[in-house]
Amino acid sequence: MPDNWGFVAAAYGLAAVVFGGYWRWLRGRERELAALRAGRTIRSHPPSRTAHPRPEPGSRAPLQ
Amino acid sequence: MVTVLGWLAAVAIVVGLAMGFGMAPREVTQGNVQRIMYLHVPAVWVAYLAFTVGFVASVVYLARRREAADRLAHAACEVGTVFLGVNIATGAIWGKPTWGTWWTWDARLTSVAVVFVMFLAYLLLRQAVEDRERGARYAAVLGIVAALNIPLVHFSVYWWRTLHQPPSLLKPGASTMPPIILAALLVNFGALAILGAYFIARRARVLAGEAEAMA
Repeated sequence: MPDNWGFVAAAYGLAAVVFGGYWRWLRGRERELAALRAGRTIRSHPPSRTAHPRPEPGSRAPLQ
Repeated sequence: MVTVLGWLAAVAIVVGLAMGFGMAPREVTQGNVQRIMYLHVPAVWVAYLAFTVGFVASVVYLARRREAADRLAHAACEVGTVFLGVNIATGAIWGKPTWGTWWTWDARLTSVAVVFVMFLAYLLLRQAVEDRERGARYAAVLGIVAALNIPLVHFSVYWWRTLHQPPSLLKPGASTMPPIILAALLVNFGALAILGAYFIARRARVLAGEAEAMA
């Protein structure tokens, strides 16, 4: 019987595509979740109106 | 832990490929196309194992209503469906040069196709029902019913006259396979089983993260 290497390559190639695709999809979902978590963290600490990391002058406590 | 499992799966797959292509000999009657069996057979065993995990987790969910059990059932059934899809596709690729046809409606192929469609319906049901608790309950019932068909798939080759050959390993009595072919098959099964466990663990982690994000 002929060896049919093309069929062997097709079977293993298809499996590689399916498993690799599923792995990539899982990684994508994890990245989306990580981005969502990061977004929530940013929203819970809203930036100042001047986009400056320090508190605005009016809200600073006076120097002792 | 999940990352370690992933690297372990990668190494095991390389060893499995080396066994299947390097150490196992060319099969006398089928030729090299028989090497597809080192992928086709372990894939269905891993699918059976994943569906069994899904079955047990679904029973636990219905009995105790633990969300972790529901997430495990969802992950295991999804991964089992992926492996069963690979099994069916590689079987068709093997069937064309060996049987002369990609597909035939014999008892084994039809019963495995029915199980595959049932688990696709399981995954669609998960998406379709908006109420999370109700969707989990319906999915658990469907997962149990679908998994109960696995013995039907396995014994179909004994109960009906089929083109598909009877099992070479999962049967009473000793294996008639040459030891090197048996070893290659078992090593590849181990590799795909680790890959399946890795996928299930990672998918369950994603599902937990999604539940947390929606809360």
